[in-house]
Amino acid sequence: MRLEKILVAVSGKDADEEAVKLACGLAKKPKAKIYVVYVVEVKRSLPLDAVIESEIAKAEKILARAEEIASDKDYEVETAVIQGRDAGPAIVDEAMEREVDLILIGFTYKKRFGVFNLGRVIPYVLEEAPCRVLLCREPMA
Amino acid sequence: MFPEAGGSASFAHHAFNDTVSFISGWALILTYIATIAISAYTIPPYLGHFWPILKESPAAGTVLSMAFVFLLMIINVIGIRESSIVNVSAAIMDLAVQILIVVLGALLVFNITTLHAHIVLYWPSWENLFVGIALAAVAYTGVETIAQMAEETRQPTRRVPFAHILTAVTVLVIFAGIATVGLSTMSPTELATEWAHDPVAGIVHNLSIAIVPHEMAVKWFPAVEAQIIVTWVLTAVRELLPALVGLLAASILLIATNAGLIGISRVTYFLGRQGFVPGVLATIHPRFRTPWVAIIFFSAISIVLLIPGFFAPKAFINLGGLYAFGAAMTYFLAHASILKLRDKYPALHRPFKIGANFKIGGREIPITSILGMLVTAFVWLVLVITQTYSRWVGLGWMVVGLGVYFLFRWRKRHISNKITSTPTSFNDSQR
Repeated sequence: MRLEKILVAVSGKDADEEAVKLACGLAKKPKAKIYVVYVVEVKRSLPLDAVIESEIAKAEKILARAEEIASDKDYEVETAVIQGRDAGPAIVDEAMEREVDLILIGFTYKKRFGVFNLGRVIPYVLEEAPCRVLLCREPMA
Repeated sequence: MFPEAGGSASFAHHAFNDTVSFISGWALILTYIATIAISAYTIPPYLGHFWPILKESPAAGTVLSMAFVFLLMIINVIGIRESSIVNVSAAIMDLAVQILIVVLGALLVFNITTLHAHIVLYWPSWENLFVGIALAAVAYTGVETIAQMAEETRQPTRRVPFAHILTAVTVLVIFAGIATVGLSTMSPTELATEWAHDPVAGIVHNLSIAIVPHEMAVKWFPAVEAQIIVTWVLTAVRELLPALVGLLAASILLIATNAGLIGISRVTYFLGRQGFVPGVLATIHPRFRTPWVAIIFFSAISIVLLIPGFFAPKAFINLGGLYAFGAAMTYFLAHASILKLRDKYPALHRPFKIGANFKIGGREIPITSILGMLVTAFVWLVLVITQTYSRWVGLGWMVVGLGVYFLFRWRKRHISNKITSTPTSFNDSQR
């Protein structure tokens, strides 16, 4: 499997740590480049390039944590904040633009109305991403 | 060319200066406020098919209109995700029903003699004709929103021009058809009085009366089996079409009201970010991440505009005139911006250029922009001269807006000058 570029989508949840660690582990041998992205979802009542300071501050904090985790694994990552209407399409668009070989997403085990739920973003990425997608699910609580 | 939100205000900013950009943006906000009010005002008459009191009682209808605006205000402050599938499906169904109305009208009720008589006998005065042309701009409510989507669509250079052209052609064809059917089924007086607020419902009502299922089935099909099926189909169409139109029209108008709210908040954010209006209007809610102040403020103004609906029968015409007032100003400045940008940035990459250009001093000048400026200026003047409500409310809106703009800018400059002229403690300590 060709692995030159990996995109890790983080969302500020605990699962991000494992996802970043996994990406570093996978990238080490082929010396792949890792991009860690956080998507700020902009509501339709604002223009797409609206500056939402609280969200940007939150994104920077999350990405700084990702950089720390990667640094602990002796790996350097490139981080970016993306703004989009929906996280799913924004992640897929970013992956296509950067021509990544793998999208890695960590997620927490959760149920909705008693049924296991992947949320809104993961099914979209699984369906629309042109490259491989790796999901890293946290253990059940 | 400029795939960014802000619409005509953004173009005017690139072409001219801050003040012209503000005027365009402020006029655009007026059109959005009028759009919200008009769309909400016309929902209850269409729902009157199910609950007649909504059509018979101006008070009941107006209260419901205000309730819709209030509800959408809450939804947009919270930022509840809307389903694009629902929006697109409703639009497609609405278009399909309107096409069906035109086709049924052409087959069942179109009568060139009646149409001719209605046009000739009810031909308006020159003043009313010009006012009618000006008010017809309401048919294009929402077209300015296309430009606002430029920054978030893939391939904007291809899709935005296509969307504009498709909108222009679709509205022209569909409403020419609807108008032709309408004037074949009823007189302009009936259309402008009993069905003034729900004209399509009126057309469908008269269309339904013209459908005599069994008689038509027997006339068109000799086979008995075919007659049974066609009778059943035509009966279903006759019974269901008025209800379908009522439901679809109400849902489309609700979507249009919501689109007006979204448009207004985006333009306000643009003006706030440029420093043209107090920054409080561009405040983003820390939890909901929406421009809640702008949404609440302009929703409140839309609700105030609906108040005359309780007692003034001309409320709808007044709102239509107000929309046309703002739209004419906005489109005038958009056309002027095109001309100015051809002169200011002649070498700018223009992925879409409309034809019919002529050259002056090495610059390509589009005839359509000149015509557009002339027509929009004419429409605006007609409204200002003939429509008292549009004149005073529209001009009042612009005067208040410009007053706030210049005062705000003066204060900003004044505070900025004060900061730069005050000696700092560092300078003092150096001395």
